[in-house]
Amino acid sequence: MARTKGYPEALEKKLADTRLYEDERHPEFTRTVEKISMSIPHMCYQCGTCTASCPSAPRSSYRIRKFMRRALLGLEEEALTDPDLWLCTTCYSCTDRCPRDIAPTDVIMAMRNLAAQRDIVPVNFLKTVQAIYSTGHGVPNNDVNRAARKKLGLPADPPTTHGFPKYVKGIQSIIDHFGLKARADRIVKEREG
Amino acid sequence: MAEKKTKKESAAKKEPKKAAAKAAAPAPAAAPKVTPGKTTAKEARIGVYICHCGTNIAGSIDIPAVQEYAKTLKNVAHVDNYQYMCSTPGQKKIENDIKEHKLTGIVVAACSPRLHEPTFRTATKTGGLNPFRFEMANIREQGSWVHMHDREGGTAKAKDAIRIAVAKASLLEDLIPKAVPVEKAAMVVGAGIAGMQAALDLANAGIKTYLIEKNPTIGGRMSQLDKTFPTLDCSQCILTPKMVDVGRAPNIELMTYAEVEAVEGYIGNFDVTIRKKARGVLTPAEAEAKGIVGGGCNGCGDCDVVCPVIKPNPFEMGMKPRKAIYIYHPQVVPLIYTVDFDSCVKCGLCVDACGDKKAIDLEMKDELIKVKVGTAVIATGYDIFPIEKKDEWGYNKYENVVTSLEFERLICASGPTGGHLVRPSDGKTPMKVAFLLCAGSRDNTGVGKPYCSRFCCMYSLKHAHQIIEKIPGCQPYIFYMDIRSFGKMYEEFYYRIQDEGAKFMRGRVANVLEDPNTKNLLINAEDTLLNRPINLEVDMVVLAAAVEPCESTEKTRKLFGVSKSMDGWLLEAHPKLNPCGTTTAGVFLAGVCQGPKDIPDTVASAEGAASAASIPIHMGEVELEPYFAQCIEEKCAGCGMCVNLCPYSALSLVEKDGRKVMQVTEAKCKGCGTCGGFCPGGAIWMQHFATPQVVAQIDAFLLGGEQ
Ligand SMILES: Cc1cc2nc3c(=O)[nH]c(=O)nc-3n(C[C@H](O)[C@H](O)[C@H](O)COP(=O)(O)OP(=O)(O)OC[C@H]3O[C@@H](n4cnc5c(N)ncnc54)[C@H](O)[C@@H]3O)c2cc1C
Ligand code: SF4
Ligand code: SF4
Ligand code: SF4
Ligand code: SF4
Repeated sequence: MARTKGYPEALEKKLADTRLYEDERHPEFTRTVEKISMSIPHMCYQCGTCTASCPSAPRSSYRIRKFMRRALLGLEEEALTDPDLWLCTTCYSCTDRCPRDIAPTDVIMAMRNLAAQRDIVPVNFLKTVQAIYSTGHGVPNNDVNRAARKKLGLPADPPTTHGFPKYVKGIQSIIDHFGLKARADRIVKEREG
Repeated sequence: MAEKKTKKESAAKKEPKKAAAKAAAPAPAAAPKVTPGKTTAKEARIGVYICHCGTNIAGSIDIPAVQEYAKTLKNVAHVDNYQYMCSTPGQKKIENDIKEHKLTGIVVAACSPRLHEPTFRTATKTGGLNPFRFEMANIREQGSWVHMHDREGGTAKAKDAIRIAVAKASLLEDLIPKAVPVEKAAMVVGAGIAGMQAALDLANAGIKTYLIEKNPTIGGRMSQLDKTFPTLDCSQCILTPKMVDVGRAPNIELMTYAEVEAVEGYIGNFDVTIRKKARGVLTPAEAEAKGIVGGGCNGCGDCDVVCPVIKPNPFEMGMKPRKAIYIYHPQVVPLIYTVDFDSCVKCGLCVDACGDKKAIDLEMKDELIKVKVGTAVIATGYDIFPIEKKDEWGYNKYENVVTSLEFERLICASGPTGGHLVRPSDGKTPMKVAFLLCAGSRDNTGVGKPYCSRFCCMYSLKHAHQIIEKIPGCQPYIFYMDIRSFGKMYEEFYYRIQDEGAKFMRGRVANVLEDPNTKNLLINAEDTLLNRPINLEVDMVVLAAAVEPCESTEKTRKLFGVSKSMDGWLLEAHPKLNPCGTTTAGVFLAGVCQGPKDIPDTVASAEGAASAASIPIHMGEVELEPYFAQCIEEKCAGCGMCVNLCPYSALSLVEKDGRKVMQVTEAKCKGCGTCGGFCPGGAIWMQHFATPQVVAQIDAFLLGGEQ
């Protein structure tokens, strides 16, 4: 357990004991992540191939290798509350190259699932849910795109739910089946009022 | 289930063992020392000993319960248990009890027979019984260790194992091992530093040694290296004196450009056929034998000059040309040219250039030579893994990505560039060089190799040193996961190279890209210590590529009946206690063919193999375990069908008393049982694995001891 010294709050925070203590480790977390991801993060030897393959890493503080370490040690809080968890593009480059044959992408996905169960999801992800619910698209068409499409000789709207809006209903029933929309609405409301 | 049966019950249902055994066993035949089918004359009295192996066995098996159970078994006359049966007091128990309890057979329930069968056989013999009246029940490797978390199950299995062993021990017979003479000659296959050292040691111990090398020269990989870590002495300088010694040693018969074609026989008596490939050039001795006085190749190289065919020299990793008639390098042993008949156009210019020496014979054919040896050492070394399979590092795609062996040739004064390290793309001196460690090693993707190649950390440190020394201002970057510098003076070498200015980047390289204009290379990795991705532009990349066994090892190993381990390297008899031996008696392993080793370890392993291979030769004879097939002549119909089935050609048909019967050449029989299982008349008795013995074991298992 990290120790506190009873200083005023600001100082306490600044001088906080950041050492790793055994009670932060939850072996159950490692097992759950492995079960959901169907991968083996406990075999990570921290080579960094994944981070070096990651298109997110050069321009953010996201380090996939660090999440693998957290999965291995069972650092549940640290993993699930780190906003970087949501910076993976799911490109699978790391999975292609990992010499230990781990699928870091799937490990990230598993952790996101676990975070979402605790309502830890960035609002923009929830807004994507809302967008898919109302239009069938995570990134709906807009006027700029429509103009660009026309210029290229394409129909303004693609032959998706944009071209066939009657199918949006089907997508909605899938999302409703999992209660995803209601959940997104609730959390967005709690956060943004 | 079986152990629930009371003693009374099981005893009541059974016939007396003696009668059963007699009924199953055929009448004794007159022939050899050991009479096939002759079983225990007197009533079997078996002593059973249960070992605790400290807590190895006792920790997960209920020893008192097993002991009580053993007492209920038929024929068991005495049961005891002990902390360590293999210890002197443990063995003494067996020795004393044999007399005291008039035992006829011994069962020890302990570890694997591969570990302690010899120990307990000796104790059995010391106690006054034939050593083959011993049977081991493995309750450790196949018991306590695999059922560590199931005490009840493990205990039940131990009872089964003991019951089965007692059933067999009750029917064991006296056997006498066969002594065969050992040919006073040895063979070493592969003449890298391992094979050369093994051959020199054997020869110096007074043993005639045939050294077989597939290439035109001896020396192996070590002759391709520039310097050697950690002392940095010149590889050729320390190797060539040994090469010369090998060439000169009166006891070594060197056959280069030759391969093993066939192997027959067994320890002490291997008949080996060697294919001497047609090298198109006569040695002075061969020339003299053909009546060409003062002729034969003297290595002058006149032929080389005139030959019009140009090919890449594999010794220089293809970076330097050679002719169709060639030597690898000036220090080859033997100094004899070789014609590459695959590329020779038979223009005959070389023949003219050679003149009166008449060394060149363009019509030469392969020759098969037969030799007999008592033991053999395999030292076939390694090759570099085809690193282009890991396409993210760009080998064969980008010109300035080279392997470590190519680097050795490029930095070597006798190499294709005279020791000036240059970029293959433009011949410029590189000023930033990245070394990629674990390139294809420690890789579980199925593309690379799961093991550590063991010498690449150290030679990459050496490479870093070499460029710092030769190219002022040149910066080496070493991309690593762990630096494995575990040998004597190795960590100190690591310290030195870091001090000299090599930059160690702790991260495995994800990929290499090429700038098509400059042919410079861009390295993507993570500095895992800074927690930052790196994008580094360098002039040259050196891949510390994984190693694997030479392709040609496969054929050789199969001929000598040597197995390989899961990773492809040749399998030793025991990884710790018998690293040079194999499961084929008389065949030993030296050097990297058994697993990656640097030169010091290779030489040590070669000396170990040579010593082990010389022992049977110096003893003069070896004992073969008497697990031979025997013919029960009364039952043999002389059909001869077994003769063709035997994979070791150990059987033949002979005339006896006016009819044909089968005869076994005991020294050739490996006791595989093929014939015994086949014979329609049941006329073949497999000593120590005879049908009644095996049936008794099966019955003991299935029927819980009823016969
Ligand atoms: C780039 C590089 C640098 C290195 N630097 C160092 C160093 O500085 N210091 C150090 O201690 N170690 C170094 N090593 C390791 C060193 O090369 C090995 O330890 C050593 O060469 C092993 O010798 P060997 O005889 O077992 O195998 P090899 O040298 O491979 O010899 C095997 C021989 O057997 C022959 N052969 C193969 N198959 C057959 C067959 N079927 N029949 C007949 N002949 C056959 C081959 O032609 C070859 O001549 C380095 C390795 C590499 C790759
Ligand atoms: S590439 Fe694989 S082994 Fe290497 S740090 Fe990433 S997850 Fe771990
Ligand atoms: S899958 Fe995610 S973590 Fe992996 S490389 Fe792509 S963005 Fe990075
Ligand atoms: S010796 Fe070093 S570079 Fe070679 S595989 Fe082992 S750890 Fe990797
Ligand atoms: S990490 Fe610190 S203690 Fe270790 S070697 Fe470096 S400076 Fe020394």
